[in-house]
Amino acid sequence: MGKFYAILGGIAVVGAAVVASQVMGGPGEAITTSMDVAAIEDDSVLLATAKPVVKGDPESSIAIMLFVDYQCPACRQFAAMVEPQIDLRLVESGRASVEQYDFPIEQAHPHAFLAARAARCAGDQDRYRDYHDILFRNQDVWFYQNEAVGAFTDYGEELALDMDEFGACLRSERHAEVVSANLQFGTRLGVGATPTVLVLDRGEGGVIHRLNGNTYEAIEEVVGDIEAGRAQGS
Amino acid sequence: MENVTVHRNRMAIAILSLVGLFVAFYLYAHAAGWMGALQCGLSDCDTVQSSSHARLGPVPVPLIGLVGYAFLLGLALVGLQPSCVGSSWIARLLFLGAAAGWGYSAYLTYLEAWVIRAWCQYCVASAIIMTLILAASLPEVRRSFGEARRTRP
Repeated sequence: MGKFYAILGGIAVVGAAVVASQVMGGPGEAITTSMDVAAIEDDSVLLATAKPVVKGDPESSIAIMLFVDYQCPACRQFAAMVEPQIDLRLVESGRASVEQYDFPIEQAHPHAFLAARAARCAGDQDRYRDYHDILFRNQDVWFYQNEAVGAFTDYGEELALDMDEFGACLRSERHAEVVSANLQFGTRLGVGATPTVLVLDRGEGGVIHRLNGNTYEAIEEVVGDIEAGRAQGS
Repeated sequence: MENVTVHRNRMAIAILSLVGLFVAFYLYAHAAGWMGALQCGLSDCDTVQSSSHARLGPVPVPLIGLVGYAFLLGLALVGLQPSCVGSSWIARLLFLGAAAGWGYSAYLTYLEAWVIRAWCQYCVASAIIMTLILAASLPEVRRSFGEARRTRP
């Protein structure tokens, strides 16, 4: 019996030491910068890793691809002025879907990467859109802060998220890979600024149309041209 | 001779339960936000731990494991005391606890394989531990029911 209790005690000491070393390290650092996904040279692998947040029918033959930086004032303006029109006239009518890709420009916007991750952490609890809105609505508040984790945590509380889960997600590297891959995907497509809007026509085997300006009228024009081209072809 | 076998089985259950307790505590510490990312190696713990199946209502699944392993550990240690070695109640409770734990582990493994489609190495480790605990508890139930037959008038 003595040997048994010695083994049990040994396991208890080793187990406690291993777990304590992890827990004593604290909740961990929130990953605030993009990961090196340069190794993803194969486009098909990059496409599989890059994942937009989709609004509307994911199978829609026309997709409006938005490349967004949450710390970019022009993106906030776009979200307030143009997105509601896209939702109302194109998404709700089933003419197109919206695919939002993260494109945090870290050199200019030090909190943008964490904001993108935070929105996806809220998305884990099916509140991506609400968190997206709250980030833009409060952009002035967290924009100039040295440390945005506190503000992003507050927004989670404001939305009554499960804070154990949200906090653990925020203070980890969760979603860092997909945000980094989205950034790289945009770069490969030639995106250099935000917001960038591209229109994907899946009907022609995947043709991407560029716009003359980020206005609703420019988007509507390209979508209308694609629809007119299809009507003529049929 | 029979008592020696009982001792060995319960010692095995106690040791396995203690290991399982630490595995469950590690996952619970992560779920509670007490630590950073899980040390995951090749598996996809984040996908599993952030899925909707990582909680049963408001209760994190690792907490259920923590309570289950603590129960089995306590029961096995009590069952090793000289006055309790012959207790058929402890034998039955050990088997029932192990069977319930194994059943729930099997369900979680099914979720990983077919619903979440991602694996967490700690969940797999816990499922293996539970399977071994169930195997170690099987002689308990055989002995317990054999005893019941012998004492029947």
